[in-house]
Amino acid sequence: MQVTSWAVASALVVASAFTSVAARADEDLKLGVIAALSGGGTAWGLGLQRGVQIALDEVNASGGLKVGGKTYKLGLVAYDDQYNAAQAKTAVDRLVQQDGIKFIMGPIGSPGALSSLSVTQPAKVLQFVDGYAPGILKNDFNAAYIFRVDNSNLEFSERIVTWIKQAMPEVRKVGMIVPNDATGQAAVPTLTAAYKKQGLDVWVDFYERGNKEFTPVLLRMMAQNVDLFDLNSASPGDAGLMVKQVRQIGFKGKVLQAGGAGVDEIVAIAGPLANGFIKYDVVDEADARTKPLVDAYARKFSGPMNGMVPIYYNATQILLEAMRRADSLDTTKVRDEVEKLQGWNTQLYGPLRWGGQVSYGNNHQIMLPFYMKQVDGKSIRVLSTLQPVD
Amino acid sequence: MLTPLMLGQVVINGISLSAIYILVALGFTLLFGIMRVVNFAHGSFAMLGGYALFYFYGQWELPYLLAAPLAAASVAVASLVLERLVFRLFYQKMFQSMIALLGLDMAITFTALLVWNPYERSVPTPLDGVLSVSGLIIPEDKLVITGVAAVALLAFWLFTRFTRHGLALRAASQDLEIAQIQGVDTTRLYRLAFLIAIFMAALAGGFYAQTYSLSPTMGERPLLMAFIVVILGGMGSIPGVALGGLLLGFSESALSTFYGSAVSTFVSFGVVFLLLIFRPWGILGTPEHE
Repeated sequence: MQVTSWAVASALVVASAFTSVAARADEDLKLGVIAALSGGGTAWGLGLQRGVQIALDEVNASGGLKVGGKTYKLGLVAYDDQYNAAQAKTAVDRLVQQDGIKFIMGPIGSPGALSSLSVTQPAKVLQFVDGYAPGILKNDFNAAYIFRVDNSNLEFSERIVTWIKQAMPEVRKVGMIVPNDATGQAAVPTLTAAYKKQGLDVWVDFYERGNKEFTPVLLRMMAQNVDLFDLNSASPGDAGLMVKQVRQIGFKGKVLQAGGAGVDEIVAIAGPLANGFIKYDVVDEADARTKPLVDAYARKFSGPMNGMVPIYYNATQILLEAMRRADSLDTTKVRDEVEKLQGWNTQLYGPLRWGGQVSYGNNHQIMLPFYMKQVDGKSIRVLSTLQPVD
Repeated sequence: MLTPLMLGQVVINGISLSAIYILVALGFTLLFGIMRVVNFAHGSFAMLGGYALFYFYGQWELPYLLAAPLAAASVAVASLVLERLVFRLFYQKMFQSMIALLGLDMAITFTALLVWNPYERSVPTPLDGVLSVSGLIIPEDKLVITGVAAVALLAFWLFTRFTRHGLALRAASQDLEIAQIQGVDTTRLYRLAFLIAIFMAALAGGFYAQTYSLSPTMGERPLLMAFIVVILGGMGSIPGVALGGLLLGFSESALSTFYGSAVSTFVSFGVVFLLLIFRPWGILGTPEHE
């Protein structure tokens, strides 16, 4: 009798376990991630991967993604592009041809984003990228299956420069130190035009990514009597060193970064010399809407939460919502729903805005509110919240 | 816009850059000079030296003059395990050592990525102020590095000229077989050279991390610079390291200031390229057949 009861109970437990698994997830759905997971861009790449992972974990914890009568357990397949075009091409080939992935997050950076287009667009693979080059959205494919999920120079430069003109009327000449690659070369014309429109002189110098000693170039720029250094698209590591070294050679004026994302890593490198540094950023950690993400990140990962985490957390939420609304995993249907999400209330940034028709010929450019922050002793405070220009 | 002040600043930047390059390249050239090993894992040992200093000085707050050598020594002693398991298999095998140690470099770097995180961080410095002398700006941390590099170079030179072990090292580097016949214990000698080379790499890595930043991938740049310096000066030559470091440091400072960093990089690699064609043994090195 006792044995029979145990057998029945065990059978019920096993059956209920299977039933609950079935209720939670019928199949696995993998998203592709292409990010720099080694080399100088690793911090940004991990930020992307972690932002996606947190968004997927939340959906899995609530039972999975329900689409087309099935429930999917979400996961990701990540490949390293080392922040370069050739590796990004290899990664996207593997994801699309070998793994059969239909939805890809990344790459970050213009070289990788541009090189991946020739694979993803003909294959109708839906891609969510970050990178400043206009060609990412303005191309022969008319960005059919690609969305840029972060502001680029075209969206934020003019607003930032107008703000600089108002907040720092003493600035007459700006020195821009720019990485000598597709990202940097995309930033220069837009930012230069914006500065000149406000009547400011501009001096531009390039540096090679991977370099750590910027003192000679900064000295050369100081000799041009610049009042403000703009570090624009430098990575956090490079920007931290520039902030430190420009102060070490005695520059007393303003140092600002109109681009990039994340202030903490720069402060970690420049230390006390970061005091007064002004920076564009994509998240206000003090905002109540951001707190659940900040807490989730702290529970799961170590190290500072850089700007790529909120960017790709937000992008993943947009993609998953579009899948739910399309009730399908067909990339064309999902793409159409992503476009229709205009005005959908995102957790981090409020109503979703797609733009870019004037600049790129399509509305696949996200319009994110952004923040100008300043390092003030040991704290970082928001000086102003700005809206991008479409 | 050339002013005397700017020219002075170029010289100061050149000296501080040269000091870093010399310090980084000393251990690299020693291993090649004695054991004919091209240590492509050099940057990884520099990185480990950076992390060791981060803990000894930044976390455990030992006095700096104790923390800096202790951090480098701890990396050197711990690396003896790798000397026994890996390096010893490749002594006097130049080409095999390149590939094997490139693999070791990747293994150390990716282990570091797992142990720590990829984020760059700073290592505190005992002196982080700026000296102003007649309008010239001298960062104190770079002044310390310049002093250490000068002392290290002198100590190296004195060691190889006037000590028993140093003379044995020189003898082995000139003719291994003759040195062995004369009773030099090459196993012990190699271990000593390895210990000194890794100590220097780790010491340089500590300073490098303090001057720039610390991360598991920080070793790539020091390795590249060490390689250029020893090719310029001559593989295995200590005076060559001094000359190569000074040439690279001053040319980078002057060319970057007056013509921009692209020209500086182009010229640096262009000179190395020409040297490899016309004088592959470097300015102060000796050709293999001599």
